[in-house]
Amino acid sequence: MQYKLGEFEEIVLLLVAAQHGEAYGLSITRAIEKELQRSVTMSSVHTALYRLEEKGFVASHIGDSEGNRRGRRKRVFVITAVGKKSLIEAREARNHIWNMIPKFVLEFAK
Amino acid sequence: MKQQQEEILPPKRSDKFLERYCYKPIFDSISGDLMERFDEYLELHGEKKARRKYWIDVIRFMNRHTLKRSNSNVNNYNPFTMFNNYFKVGFRNLLKNKSFTAINVLGLSVSMAVCLIIILIINDQTSYDNFQENADKIYRFTHETDEGLNLKIATVPEPLANTISNRFAGIDKVVNFHRLNGELLHEGKAIDLQGYYTDPALFDLFSYKLRLGNPATALSEPFSIVLKEDIARKFFKEEDPIGKTIKIDGRGTYTVTGVLEKLPGKTHIRFEVFASTSSLQGLEEQGTHIRGKGNRESPNQTWTYFELLNGYSVEQLNASLNELEKEFYNEDSEFLVDFEVQAMTNITPGPLYGNQIGEGMPSFFIIGFGVLAALIIICAAFNYTNLSAARAITRTKEVGVRKVMGARRIQLTIQFVVESVILSLLALVLSMAFLAFLVPAFENLQMSSVLNWQLKLDAKAYLQFFGFAVLVGIVTGIFPSLYLSSFNAISAMKGLLSKKKLSGWALRKTLIVSQFVISIVLIASSMLVYKQIIFMVDKDYGYTKENIINIDLQGQNYAILKTELEKLPFVEDITASNIIPNTGISNSMDIWKETEEESFNINYFSVDDRYLDMLGLELVAGTDFKKDADSYNRQSLLINEKALSSLGFDSARDAIGGQVHSEADSTVFNIIGVVKDYNYQIVYMDIQPLLIRYEPESYQFAQVKILGYDLTDEMATIDEVWDEFDPNNELIAKTYQGQQDEFNSFFFDWAFMPLPYKRA
Repeated sequence: MQYKLGEFEEIVLLLVAAQHGEAYGLSITRAIEKELQRSVTMSSVHTALYRLEEKGFVASHIGDSEGNRRGRRKRVFVITAVGKKSLIEAREARNHIWNMIPKFVLEFAK
Repeated sequence: MKQQQEEILPPKRSDKFLERYCYKPIFDSISGDLMERFDEYLELHGEKKARRKYWIDVIRFMNRHTLKRSNSNVNNYNPFTMFNNYFKVGFRNLLKNKSFTAINVLGLSVSMAVCLIIILIINDQTSYDNFQENADKIYRFTHETDEGLNLKIATVPEPLANTISNRFAGIDKVVNFHRLNGELLHEGKAIDLQGYYTDPALFDLFSYKLRLGNPATALSEPFSIVLKEDIARKFFKEEDPIGKTIKIDGRGTYTVTGVLEKLPGKTHIRFEVFASTSSLQGLEEQGTHIRGKGNRESPNQTWTYFELLNGYSVEQLNASLNELEKEFYNEDSEFLVDFEVQAMTNITPGPLYGNQIGEGMPSFFIIGFGVLAALIIICAAFNYTNLSAARAITRTKEVGVRKVMGARRIQLTIQFVVESVILSLLALVLSMAFLAFLVPAFENLQMSSVLNWQLKLDAKAYLQFFGFAVLVGIVTGIFPSLYLSSFNAISAMKGLLSKKKLSGWALRKTLIVSQFVISIVLIASSMLVYKQIIFMVDKDYGYTKENIINIDLQGQNYAILKTELEKLPFVEDITASNIIPNTGISNSMDIWKETEEESFNINYFSVDDRYLDMLGLELVAGTDFKKDADSYNRQSLLINEKALSSLGFDSARDAIGGQVHSEADSTVFNIIGVVKDYNYQIVYMDIQPLLIRYEPESYQFAQVKILGYDLTDEMATIDEVWDEFDPNNELIAKTYQGQQDEFNSFFFDWAFMPLPYKRA
């Protein structure tokens, strides 16, 4: 893996993939608030997106200006091949560690 | 309802603010997102809170991703890569123009070597007393009288310390110094040493540490002595010196009570031994030492140091001193004196003082050195600036190409400055090679031995050298670089920069003119100093000094040496005295006359009956000392013309037969003759009153008149005689010229003056 994904970055990247073709700053902020019940500022989401773009995990293009945006266009983010690969790698790494946990350890948590 | 909501818009000003700071390509997306968000806030919290939240969001968005980029297109400009490139290009350019580089490096390195030496000298001179822990609290008294040279003197009358500490509470740890010169003797070994009688508080006031012995008691008992480590080793080798005795010629036997640790640095007090002040009492009773004890008008024998306590100021002390002056030194006493307080940190380097306690270059010399260094390096720097400006035409195309490729002016400037820094560092390497020869040469100067220069090449010095070279590089390079980088790209490429513009550069002319001015001033002042020295050497002193060799008796018996030397065929005449004229040293005594109430202080020479003949001194009236009439001569006195008025005589004839009394031992002298004034002190001082007395006990020098056909051979023969006579000590003999050169060199030989008169 060329770049490491931070925890927050991973969430943002997952959501970019989930909202494929529709993802922009505010939509991801909303999704985080809704799906993860987690409060987040929009600027930190934007920052994470720019950073992901710098690393080459996402690509962006200028999109439409739907919604009450007074004509200002969205910047739509799409996951790249590298981004996909790193997501898979991150997941595999997690799975690998999950598999290392003895079964009885988690039984009581259920 | 919906209609109303749409009316409410986010605060306009915050949007403007976002637009101002935000990076253009992403402004739309951020602003749009924020607007959408604002609607959500509005629904959740109402207008007021929504507006506030919007503002907070706008401010939060400020970070490195969103801020406006500088106008430059170079976003990932790496200064280190560029610096590498500057060095590479710099070296290539220097190699390409080998003759230019050679001329510049050579010229710069010669000047730089001189500057480096000056840096070392300044380092050395500012290193004095840096190890003293209380340095900022230590002061000493100095005085100035209305007599003689207009010069402050580092000594004060002995009673001052006591009187002032009774009146002023802010003085503590008073330490007096009295000179102790003589030959230390122990089991056949003899070393001629300089030191001081001093008080037990010495070790409290100064940071001199004892390696052996107890600092609290080492200087309490009479006839105790503390030695420097190397002196102790010379006398006692590896033995424990504590409790051993050492004889000081003519000053009794002393018990060693302490050995000093090696001093961590230089100190302005030049000493090899310290003896207890309490010894002086005994010596005075024996009559072997005359101290101005209790004498308020004998200001030349005691150095007084003290600590000024916290909470007391120098101004307060000065006020107290003023009162004291008014009380003891008023019009009635005819001895007017002005006491001052000097901080130890201002002593070396400090102003010029008379009767210093140790060597040291006056601070104006150090400043002078600094100015000299600056002038020399400025000349060299101008040279470089001129040469590179003249060569500018060859670099115009390069500048043009670089500018077209997108180099900014600052980058071009840095590139040319780096080039000149490389050159200056090359010069530094070469000048370090010069330094290897210059340092020993400078340390061998007579001035250096007088001032005890130690030109240390330590890490600090190397760091200073490096910093100096870089600074020189930057200063020399800055003008040509600014000039070169100012070319317009297109005209530089097309060669449109006219020859006129390149050569008619006003700065170049200014530089050349000022360079010449500095050179001429330096050369002229060197010549002036040189002529001044010749004047001083050639000046008519009023006495003969040709072919006279002064031999330091080093405590040996003059009479025996005289009979030995008289056997030599080339020795014409021999006389003896306590001091050599024109060496800046004088002795004085207190005398009084019956007709007058007050005693007063007057310079004197102790000589023998051959003195006047040999030095060719003329008598104005009366007679010389009688040959071989010891008791008669002892009671006789010669005076100079200047002394006539100060002793209250109307004429020379009037003085003959007059009587004066010595204050110290109540001897009565009959004046038998008056000598024509001659210059016995420093050339530029007025001739002062003088007594010449006959006193064989105080002879310090034998003055031998030789034929002088073959000076080297004759000196060698005298050396042989001396070796048989005193095998323990080396012969110390100098011609008058040598002696005076040594004194003059103190002031003058820094300019590398060859003295044509230095015959021996």
